[in-house]
Amino acid sequence: MNMLKVPLQIFRYKPDQPPRYDTFTVEVPDTAHVIDAIDAAWAVHDQSLTFRRACHHSSCGSCAFRINGVEKLPCVTRVTDVWDGLTPLRLEPLRNFPIVSDLVVDVSDFFQRMSAADMTITCEAEAFLPFTVDSFAVAELEPKVVELPENFSRFNRFEQCIECGICMSACPTMAADERFLGPAGLAAIYQARNKTDDPKKVAHLLGLADGEHGVWRCHSAFECTEACPQAVDPAGKIMALRRELIARRFSKLFGK
Amino acid sequence: MTENPFAEEPKPTSAWLWQVFTGVGLVILLGLHFIANHFVAKGGLRDFTEVVAYLRDPLILCLEVLFLLCVTTHALLGVRAIFLDFGPSELAERRLDQVLKVVGVLTVAYGLGVTWMVIR
Amino acid sequence: MHDYRKVSRASRWLDVRRRKLGMWAYALNRITGIALVVYLYLHLVVLSLLLRGPGAWDSFVALARSPFYLTLDVILLAGILIHGLNGLRIALTGFGIGVGAQKALFTILMIVSAIALWVAALKIFRI
Repeated sequence: MNMLKVPLQIFRYKPDQPPRYDTFTVEVPDTAHVIDAIDAAWAVHDQSLTFRRACHHSSCGSCAFRINGVEKLPCVTRVTDVWDGLTPLRLEPLRNFPIVSDLVVDVSDFFQRMSAADMTITCEAEAFLPFTVDSFAVAELEPKVVELPENFSRFNRFEQCIECGICMSACPTMAADERFLGPAGLAAIYQARNKTDDPKKVAHLLGLADGEHGVWRCHSAFECTEACPQAVDPAGKIMALRRELIARRFSKLFGK
Repeated sequence: MTENPFAEEPKPTSAWLWQVFTGVGLVILLGLHFIANHFVAKGGLRDFTEVVAYLRDPLILCLEVLFLLCVTTHALLGVRAIFLDFGPSELAERRLDQVLKVVGVLTVAYGLGVTWMVIR
Repeated sequence: MHDYRKVSRASRWLDVRRRKLGMWAYALNRITGIALVVYLYLHLVVLSLLLRGPGAWDSFVALARSPFYLTLDVILLAGILIHGLNGLRIALTGFGIGVGAQKALFTILMIVSAIALWVAALKIFRI
């Protein structure tokens, strides 16, 4: 295992100071992830450096920020995968969120969107067997049936989305429209809609998505699907919602 | 406990659908218009007599009027989409829609007016 | 990112660095869209020459047959093809068709545009 001396150019922002970039050089093993590098920067250089992290394995969605301008989960991004060996690694907070401090952004509006679709922070566990991967538009993921190992009688299937906010940062419409539900919000609506047969609930969920700041504001940039670390395919879900809304309009038109 | 603004059902909108329908219509109508006015007449572009003859054909006239309606709707809906990206307030949004409707009506009226003056 | 002024946020779509193909398609569609709206109204104003009779219109047509104007026509057609064919892609994916293939669709349609433009340019300049 080799040690690397990695220069980090980190965006700094405190409410009483103008924004700036600090450059810290940290020494980390070549197997380190970017989150380890920023941990080292905090420990060795500046303990006022603020960032979020928890699980270190892309399950909690806390740590998301931009590395060299691209949204990633630093806990599963190796330094060697993003560092060219020379230029400082630029670390910046997610786009389209108000910044609280350094790399930490205010996610309260984001969680309001998720809770509007009844997708609360604690993932609702579903236990069913067999399960299929619910991503019809993602070519790499084929729907598949998983065989349980011998000793298991049931298991929990959590939602794909870890509510990391990366899609919201990547989305150009989120940049422009504060009231846009966003890829995460709309994917949550799609997910919630598929979990219920209650016609009133379905109508309400589709109604949430049907407004000027819902599915129709999406400009088909597909950045959300590209950036998502969990293969949620929010763009595909937005298009699926559109299809259903259009079908409903046509049925209403023809009085069905 | 404050209200969740995202949990209120908004007014449904059909703007995007109209954008798509007029857009698909334009692929055909604009295609025909471009070909008819750049490639069909001898010398490509039509001179005055050729324009009059062209517009006096009833089928052509219908297609060109339909084209005018589609292109005006599509263009102004596009402009509206760009303005919406500036995060206007609800009031500003309503004013914008009113202004664009007026511009649309004036544009179509102008187009129909010029056509009428030319073919009569 | 700490700049929340509306103009700055509304123009973020222009920065396509480090973005993927879908974002490039969106930016291209918007730019060609704006250009086409400007052209539309210029074109409508020029059409008023028809009201001034054959003299005015025919002089304009003679001007419009010059190489400079024909070049502008080709540029216009490029904008129309890009906007139109990419628009078809947006219509298709917006109805949930071909979402997984959206990048390939964009590439194919832009190649088709280029070919169509080339053929049309040859015809335009031969007239």
